[in-house]
Formats: sequence, structure tokens, C-alpha cells
Amino acid sequence: MADQLLEKVQDVLEGQIDFEGQRLAELLTTGVLSATGAIAFILGFVLQDIRLSLWTGLGGTALTFLIVVPPWPFFKQHPLQWLPAQGQTGGISIEVDGKKVS
Amino acid sequence: MHTTLTRLQNVFGFFTTVACFVAVFIALSVVVTPQAPSASIKLQNIQVVKGRPHYYSTKRAEFAHIRFDLDTDISSLFGWNTKQVFLYITATFPSSSTNEPPSQAVIWDAILPSKYEPWHENQYIHPPSASSPSSSSGTKSKSNAKSKSKSSKSKSSASTDAADYNPGLLSLSAQRPKYQITTPAGRIASLSNATLELNWNIQPWVGALVWTNRADFGLWKGLKGGRSKSFDFPALKESGSKGAGAGTGKKEDLKTEKGAESNRGKPA
Repeated sequence: MADQLLEKVQDVLEGQIDFEGQRLAELLTTGVLSATGAIAFILGFVLQDIRLSLWTGLGGTALTFLIVVPPWPFFKQHPLQWLPAQGQTGGISIEVDGKKVS
Repeated sequence: MHTTLTRLQNVFGFFTTVACFVAVFIALSVVVTPQAPSASIKLQNIQVVKGRPHYYSTKRAEFAHIRFDLDTDISSLFGWNTKQVFLYITATFPSSSTNEPPSQAVIWDAILPSKYEPWHENQYIHPPSASSPSSSSGTKSKSNAKSKSKSSKSKSSASTDAADYNPGLLSLSAQRPKYQITTPAGRIASLSNATLELNWNIQPWVGALVWTNRADFGLWKGLKGGRSKSFDFPALKESGSKGAGAGTGKKEDLKTEKGAESNRGKPA
């Protein structure tokens, strides 16, 4: 019981996503942050207000953190199909001095 | 990118890169912001008196007290990336021997903050525009808005204070110096061929410190004017040496302008 609970907590903290999700996360990080930087500079330059640049940049960065960091369900759309396990007891038996150990 | 921690690290790492690039672009954007500063500076009055460099000094030196008129429009220096402009006036005078470079000494300075800079006690406070009612802007500041509300004329303009606050317009007449100048030898009377010059440092939010430019550089026009006609330091004023025995020097007869930075550490 306690083990199961601990595993769940670990799962939530680690927040693992699948391979397709990782590709998506990488793409989102690069895209959203680059766009944020470009928009921040252009907005500030056109309106001649450097504070606008600062807050646009920081806001966009916060948005990126929000989108990318938590393990959202859309990062887990392609779970990996593992091969079925070989044999019933894990497929490995170890013998020491003619006696079965495991 | 497969755990929360690696995603956090990746996003933050790329954020620093993007921030760095944006900062570089902002710093470079200064070059395409046109500048066209102009100024006229005139010597108003000059006196040379004997005095002590500080109260406990036994050395008595000659000090030049230079009053000046300054009319300047450097509002074009306040671009989107300008934090503040440090404006200062130097007196340049030749050294006693001809093969040495001329001496320069600062007689007055001011920190002109841009619109978005938070208030600080060391910043220059533009004088109220009593003498020239035509100047609608440039003589307002955030801190003296309260004291000006007595006169009805400035009260009406106080509402638009932040909107048309223009720190780059200065019109000073018979301005007292902040610093009285001397030479290392303590002799400055009767020197000839001195000039007053306006100089500045533009301090940006991001990027490089820019100094006075008198030559055109791309979209930046050089400073027009900003240099006085050459003048001579007068002979030593005798009335200043009256109190030589008592040890009271120039302090009574000549007053320097106190800069706002002299308030440092004291409550307003």
C-alpha cells in the first residue's frame, strides 16, 4: 500500500512523457520562446517602450513554462508498446550448487 | 525532455539565450534611433577668489567661480533605450607650459532621468518655468509638482505632467556652478583662452555608454553648438582676501549650486 502510494508520488514528480511528447515539447520550447523574443523586441521598438519589451518577454517565458513543464495529457498520446514478457516468472532462473535460488 | 526537471532546465536554458539575443538587438537598435542635439552655452560671469579646498585645509588656493547661461535641446538623446543622461559642463583651459595638454574641470553637472526611470534623490529637478512661460515642457519634474500647484497656470499643466515630461530641454540663465575650480598648483587667475563645453554620457537600459559626439555618425548628428566663446580668467578679486586672518574664505560671498546628490543620506 505504502509502496504504491510512493510510486504514484514519484510518477507525479518525475512527470515522464512519451517520445512523441518529447519531440513536441522540444518544438514548443523553441517556437514559443523564439516568437516571444521577436514579439517583445518588435512591440517595444515600434511603441518605443522598453518596459513593454520586458514584460512581453517575461510573460511569454512564463507561458512557455506553463505549456512545456507539466506532463500534460497531450504529451502522452503515444505510449510505447512494450513486448510481452517472456515466460511466467520473468524468464530467468538462477541455480547455485544445483539448487534453485530465484 | 522526458521528465519535469529536464524540461524545466531546457526551457530555462533557452530562455537565457533568447533574453541575451533580445538584449543585443535592443542595444543595437540605438544606432538606428536618430539624434540631433543642439545647445548654446554662454559665459555669464566669472570671479576668481582665494579660498580653501575644505574647512580644515591650511592651503589657500585660487578658485574660479563661473556662472553660465545654458540653452539646450537634447530630447533626441532620450530614445526608448535611454535610462538617463548625465550632463556636465567642463571648463577647458590651457596649461601653463605649451607642450602639455589643456586642463579640463567640471563646473556643473546634472542627472536627467528618462520618463520611466524611478525617482531618485540624486536626479536633477528642473526649475519651475517662472521666467519663460512659453516653454510648455521641460521644466516639470515629478517631485516638484506639488510645490508648483500654487500658481494656477502650472496647475493646469500639472495634470499632463507625466505625458509631456521632457527632460532634454534645459534653459538656464546665470546658473551658479556646482563646483568651483582650481589647478593643482592652486593658481587659476589671469589664465587666458578658456572655453566652456557641454558634454554628456547617455546611459542606456541595455547596451553601451555613449559619450558626447561632435561629428556626425550615421543617423546621429553631432552636437550643434555646446561650446562657448573663449574667455580669460580675471585677476584675483581682492575682497575675498579680506578675511584671510580670520580664516573665513570665499564661502560667504560666492555661493555654489548644491546638487541634489548633496541630500544623500538625509531625509527629504
